[in-house]
Amino acid sequence: MISTFGYLTLALAFLLAVYGLFAVVLGLVQKSAAWTESARLALLLIFPLVTVSLVVLTMLLVGQRFDVAYVYSVTSSEMPIYLRLTAVWGGQSGSLLFWSWLVAGFSLFFALRKWRDEPDLLPWSLLVVFLTLAFFLMVNVFMETPFERFWHMPDGSRVLSVLQPVGAWSLVPQDGQGLNPLLRHPGMIWHPPTLYLGFIGFIIPFALAVSSLASGRRDRRWVDIARPWMLIAWVFLTLGLVLGMRWAYDILGWGGYWGWDPVEIAALLPWLSATAWIHTAILQRRKNHFKRWNLVLVILTFVFVIFGTFITRSGVLSSVHAFAGSEIGLPMFIYTAFLSLGSLGLLVYRWRDLHTDYAPSFGFTKETLTLFSNLILLSILMVCFLGVIYPIISELLTDTQITVGPAWYKRITGPLLILQLFLVGICPLAGWSLTNLTRWRKHLWVLLPISLLAPLAAWFFGDVRGGLALLCMWLVSFSVGVLIADYLQGAAREKGSAGGNILSALWSPIQRNHRRYGGMLVHLGIVLLSLGIIGIEGLQQETQSTLSLGETVNLGGYSFKFEGLEHFEEADGRLVTEALLSITRDGKPIGALYPQREIYPNMGLAITQPGLRSNLAVDLYAVLIDWRPISQDEATFRVFINPLVTWLWVGTGVVTLGTVVALLPDKLRRK
Amino acid sequence: MSPSGTQPTKSNRLKYMIGGGLFLIALILMIISATKATAEFFMTVRELNETREDLTGQNLRVSGAVIGESITYDSAANELQFVIAHIPGKDDEIRAAGGLSFVLHQAVVDPDNPRIMVIYQGAPPDMLRDEAQAILTGTLNPKGEFLAEELLLKCPSKYEEAVPNQVEN
Repeated sequence: MISTFGYLTLALAFLLAVYGLFAVVLGLVQKSAAWTESARLALLLIFPLVTVSLVVLTMLLVGQRFDVAYVYSVTSSEMPIYLRLTAVWGGQSGSLLFWSWLVAGFSLFFALRKWRDEPDLLPWSLLVVFLTLAFFLMVNVFMETPFERFWHMPDGSRVLSVLQPVGAWSLVPQDGQGLNPLLRHPGMIWHPPTLYLGFIGFIIPFALAVSSLASGRRDRRWVDIARPWMLIAWVFLTLGLVLGMRWAYDILGWGGYWGWDPVEIAALLPWLSATAWIHTAILQRRKNHFKRWNLVLVILTFVFVIFGTFITRSGVLSSVHAFAGSEIGLPMFIYTAFLSLGSLGLLVYRWRDLHTDYAPSFGFTKETLTLFSNLILLSILMVCFLGVIYPIISELLTDTQITVGPAWYKRITGPLLILQLFLVGICPLAGWSLTNLTRWRKHLWVLLPISLLAPLAAWFFGDVRGGLALLCMWLVSFSVGVLIADYLQGAAREKGSAGGNILSALWSPIQRNHRRYGGMLVHLGIVLLSLGIIGIEGLQQETQSTLSLGETVNLGGYSFKFEGLEHFEEADGRLVTEALLSITRDGKPIGALYPQREIYPNMGLAITQPGLRSNLAVDLYAVLIDWRPISQDEATFRVFINPLVTWLWVGTGVVTLGTVVALLPDKLRRK
Repeated sequence: MSPSGTQPTKSNRLKYMIGGGLFLIALILMIISATKATAEFFMTVRELNETREDLTGQNLRVSGAVIGESITYDSAANELQFVIAHIPGKDDEIRAAGGLSFVLHQAVVDPDNPRIMVIYQGAPPDMLRDEAQAILTGTLNPKGEFLAEELLLKCPSKYEEAVPNQVEN
């Protein structure tokens, strides 16, 4: 049977991982390059095997093989094909297989790089990779396998098993239970895989850090090799987080774009430490300092990835993201503890070797700003971590569970984030030496007044009166101004060599120093993204109203008129009720919103789909809450005006572009 | 490239320590004040009913089983009301008692189980239905009703059923 085949390839991949682990250890003990090479070759085979297994699972899902328990639990016959494909990561065991597949994929690329120049880093890196692969494949093979099928036993009982038990015959349900309706959204296509790519990408920098420590190197070679992996993982994690925000924004009940849910926070933790690493890695490259700190950050990043996986999959915390209760909590915990203690122990063991005599400079320099931004990032990280584990510690200490919610996080991280935005904004003003500021003096006389235009415009045209919101808007416009001015200065310096051609002069700073200007582009993206957050956190307006047919509700200068309700049935069995709200501003019609409520009759669940109209300035967002079923001439709506939210998505695009620029090959420079 | 103006010296370390130290003290003060103002105590429905008087004004978090027939929503006032029944607070107790969906079902059908009225200003969430697990944050009013500010709902039963009952012959 095909499902048995999928299981066997998975089991074979697991055996190869175990073999690889032994071969690496033998190679290390006997100092034998042959064993290491054998392990590397085993690694190359694991990816194709897990790929076959994943393809089999996909075929089972698409082919509606409901006798397979996983297919039964996450799909049903009325689901469209794209959702059946996304069901690969729609449940615990399938998503674990997908996770293992990604680990195997990253490891494959890593094993294929040229190792000739640093043979000592290879075996220890392989050890980390194999430990991880062997662990996740073990969970997939023995504890959470997506290939189990239903069987009728001769004694009338029903069992779950991969192989056919003696005397049993197959039990084939007519239809599956179907994917949780909340997951039936295009967000399901992109959000989980990008997030997973981000998480798993950090394994390579982590493996390099461990191997650098274990092999006793004191140079920064590992940082150089790790940088592109780190940036790739970072940008995928960023995309994954923001795609999750977009999804949450589109589905009511998920608390806007960010709900401070423990699992969301758990995904933010490695993002924060990775962001800190990207910055201090530059200091290590330039000043050969922060050796220990960068190791700490990489280890923290990966430990937080595994910690996040642990709390999501073990069911220790309640969250919208949590998988249903599972038995893999304990092994996950052991694995997490082993990796964390092992790598931190190694760091402590090598601590003295990594000593440097360098004392940092203090003043308005990039170095000082980087250190303070590190302090802020790590403070946010500590606060978030504390918030997540608060219920667990308080229960241990006082026997009462104390939890903290969004209000707690917002109060503490709000000021920190504003401070961080300020640092991002002034960063180009600081150079590696103090003299940089004099270069900026005359530009600042122009930039400061211009940057005041944005908050002034918000005051007069947007009726914004909140002091904090105005301050933040000034910070945003000032930062954007500084970043653009910095880039134009760079371009002006190149103008002569470009022969006066404006286009090539504009491209030349990137060509000359793509790392710096890629980074600045990422900063620009972060600043624009903050604009969206300021809009929804500081300037959101909302109202709720029950309207009769033809009545209007007014909010923020817009009028929303209830024009009617419509009921229809979708092909997949959903019963949809759609309302029509026409919008006018100053008497002029500008469009309509179509908020919906969908009912899944065979699951007894309803989903709310907001009506949304967005442009760069404002999102108009309406939710259909209730209606009189019989007369249909009265319905209740909640209407939101969310200014500037689109910049959250635009900023993310700029961040992605900037990371790509920063990742361009160094050769560009010498052209 | 030696930085002009700032000589890297030991005294710079001191400056960083003072700056960082002040920053951390401010941070800790912020955490303490935020905790005092917003932290929520987790209680079961039974505990809420027993210690009602001492809890007025305190931020609370409670988990219970939704009783479907008690759900009412007044759209004019935008007020949602429903009753939740006691379930054990700890995960291992729930597991020992037969799993979440079993515990939720028992909690709803047993009339002697402690119950509490919940009042929420807002629309009924999509997942609010009979035997769902509601996790609520809010405060108690003097009448002993729970004024919820936030609702989180889980419906486990559908996804816990390991072996299907419907079979093709």
